[in-house]
Amino acid sequence: MAKTILVVDDSASLRQVVGIALKGAGYEVIEACDGVDGLAKLGSAAKVHLIVSDVNMPNMDGITFVKEVKRKAEYKFTPIIMLTTEAEEEKKLQGQAAGAKAWVVKPFQPQQMLAAVGKLILP
Amino acid sequence: MISIDPQMEAALQTFFEESRDLLQDMESALLFMEESGADPERINAVFRAAHTIKGSAGLFGLEEVVRFTHCLENLLDRIRAGSTDLTPSRITLLLSCGDHIAEYLDKISVGAALDERFLAEDLRLLTALTEALGTTLPAPMSASVLKSEARPGPEVIPPGSVKTGNWHISLRFGVDTFRDGMDPLSFLRYLEQIGEIVGLVTLTDSLPPLAQMDAESCYLGFEISFKSDADKSQIADVFDFVKDSSTVHILPAHSQIGAYLQLIQQLPEADQHLGEILVSVGSLTEEELQKALALQDVGNQDGQHRPLGAILIAQKMVQEPVVQGALEKQQQQREQQVAERQMLRVRAADLDHLVNLVGELVIASAANSLFAMQDGAEDRVESAAHVARLVEEIRDGALHLRMIDVAEVFQRFPRVVRDMARTLGKDIRLEISGEGTELDKSMAEKITDPLMHLVRNAMDHGIESAERRRALGKPVQGCINLHACHDAGGIIIEVRDDGGGLNREKILNKAMEKGLITSEQTLGDREIYALIFAPGFSTADQVSDISGRGVGMDVVRQNIEAIRGSIEIHSTPDVGSTMRIRLPLTLSIIDGFLVKLATDTFVIPAESVEECLEYPERQGVPGYMELRDQPLPLLHLAGVFRIDGEAGKRRNVIVVRHGQHRVGMVVGAILGNQQTVIKPLGKLFDQVPGISAVTILGNGDVAPILDISALIHGHVSAKHIH
Repeated sequence: MAKTILVVDDSASLRQVVGIALKGAGYEVIEACDGVDGLAKLGSAAKVHLIVSDVNMPNMDGITFVKEVKRKAEYKFTPIIMLTTEAEEEKKLQGQAAGAKAWVVKPFQPQQMLAAVGKLILP
Repeated sequence: MISIDPQMEAALQTFFEESRDLLQDMESALLFMEESGADPERINAVFRAAHTIKGSAGLFGLEEVVRFTHCLENLLDRIRAGSTDLTPSRITLLLSCGDHIAEYLDKISVGAALDERFLAEDLRLLTALTEALGTTLPAPMSASVLKSEARPGPEVIPPGSVKTGNWHISLRFGVDTFRDGMDPLSFLRYLEQIGEIVGLVTLTDSLPPLAQMDAESCYLGFEISFKSDADKSQIADVFDFVKDSSTVHILPAHSQIGAYLQLIQQLPEADQHLGEILVSVGSLTEEELQKALALQDVGNQDGQHRPLGAILIAQKMVQEPVVQGALEKQQQQREQQVAERQMLRVRAADLDHLVNLVGELVIASAANSLFAMQDGAEDRVESAAHVARLVEEIRDGALHLRMIDVAEVFQRFPRVVRDMARTLGKDIRLEISGEGTELDKSMAEKITDPLMHLVRNAMDHGIESAERRRALGKPVQGCINLHACHDAGGIIIEVRDDGGGLNREKILNKAMEKGLITSEQTLGDREIYALIFAPGFSTADQVSDISGRGVGMDVVRQNIEAIRGSIEIHSTPDVGSTMRIRLPLTLSIIDGFLVKLATDTFVIPAESVEECLEYPERQGVPGYMELRDQPLPLLHLAGVFRIDGEAGKRRNVIVVRHGQHRVGMVVGAILGNQQTVIKPLGKLFDQVPGISAVTILGNGDVAPILDISALIHGHVSAKHIH
């Protein structure tokens, strides 16, 4: 069965492009527009195998979101990829401290996202 | 242009829409801060807008947008960090940057070339951004720079390199690897995508006795001989995510034996034991191992033993308090913002389709009721009435889906007023009220330009100079008020100013000069004010840069009438003027005036009907009739549409008005007012002159809706030729 990836970003176009790339590689994709939505989607999804989350989002930012995810027993070992920019080195470290050890630097190409995901899980 | 893949094309459209929204948010936040001072929440909103646009632009390969937003983001990041102040001049710069990005995106979306003016602006803004950043700007840190810093490579150079042409990779996964969501095996599987694992030994040396073992901890290490054409950075990249928590050593093919020695020393396992593993993996031969171990003493004397992980761990310790503080703050913010709006984005075309279907349903339901009435069976009549009621509710609901708050139209104005007030050197504030009033989205798009023109006009010509205001005892700061409300089945949008009001005499003189009126004519205030909507009319003493854009008030009026609206002016000298625009609630339903031509039914939009008269069989001048001592040109619709049949015993004249022009349309019977659903003409018929759309009547007949503007203008110009 295909692995499911939750993509959390406030940019609809980013979610769309990342979704196209990941689905093309054989993953299932669930989208969420911010941390609050992300937690809701985690709650309703059968199983999420990997999470991609932006750092800077309205309502609930990526770092708080990651902390919340890590508090859930069933997602304790789920890999999380943080989307950062080179201007946000501190955010990246905060994200890593919160538990998101993988990252992709924005702006990125779809294949860079596929490579990052590929290191962590297989389709 | 960028991608022909339809999925990507759709995503690109999403990007354009989302970017426009973000730029709007950015502008609102900047304007707010200009008024009320900088606040972190809004600075972050501005940063996020630039950040998101940059991120998505990169995905679509829009390099130039990335480059520009990158500079912008750098400045915003420093403002956010507090190392650069958000001065008024920087707000102006940031606003210009927002405009510039919007223009970029507009050009890209239509595939337009970046012209010289645009490139000059690009350069100007980039220069200004760089200046604002100052000379202390650190070079943008690229990911690759970080990578090479974090991994000091082996540096010993004794002669003699190993035989094997394979890479050697030595991995000791950190104890938290599983807890970090990482699976050591997935990295090894990924590694196989860029080469072949020739030999692999799993190290279990650090596995504690079963009783002390933590099932969630990782104790594994690997020694790998790896055959690949990839370069070192590609291989290192595979382990990027674990490089901080784990120990990763990569030795290239034919490395110096000394490099292996250093590796053996750095790793925690006993040297002899590890050496044997390297041999069994195939990275070292037995001889090479012996050579290496022989070199060991030399290395030990140097005392150059660098614990790799220590630096990184130390770095992490430094970060800890910073992280805690920031996280706590974010937690508080989140709690405040839990009340979340749930919204759904819907494709406009889908919505139009739904509204169209609902329109059909209304008609079908009317027919159903009609047949039920004819049938006379009480049960059927009752159930038909019930259906009709539900259908009406559905129609109202469906039309409501297209409605947006007028706030979306108004939100552009704070910026316009601010910028223009500066250009004019006037102190003017903008007040907005009734922004919760809803109107049809397609109408909202079309009303923006006319409103913009009216606001500019009011600021330029309406609001007096500061000296004049002071002399009149008015507050020096002028005020423009945008107001919206619902009124009797329509929407009213007003542009008010507290300026000098319209100057009757000036308008009259100008109108006479332009030959619009004669000196004998006596006109009421409203008629005089209406003159400013005549083509080519402008009362400004000098055509200023701002409102003299070659677009007059006549275009404003035409645009408003194109969406079946009307505009009127109220003005009091030295107190101010009000431009009142009245719009229909929706563009998909029209208040129709039904008339007969022989056996066919036609619909005249009710808002253009002024009055109905009996057709005078005798006319002084053919083609004209007299209406209150004024000649009224007549238009025989039966002739226009070449409808044969009896001329009709009782003919009527419907007086319709469009702009300044009045025409009497000669028709047969008058059937009266009826709300009708507008159905657009198909491609085949959209060139038919004089008809703008059709509607379907309750009995299923199709009735054309007359295009009054085209009919009047076609007619009037034809008469002028004669």
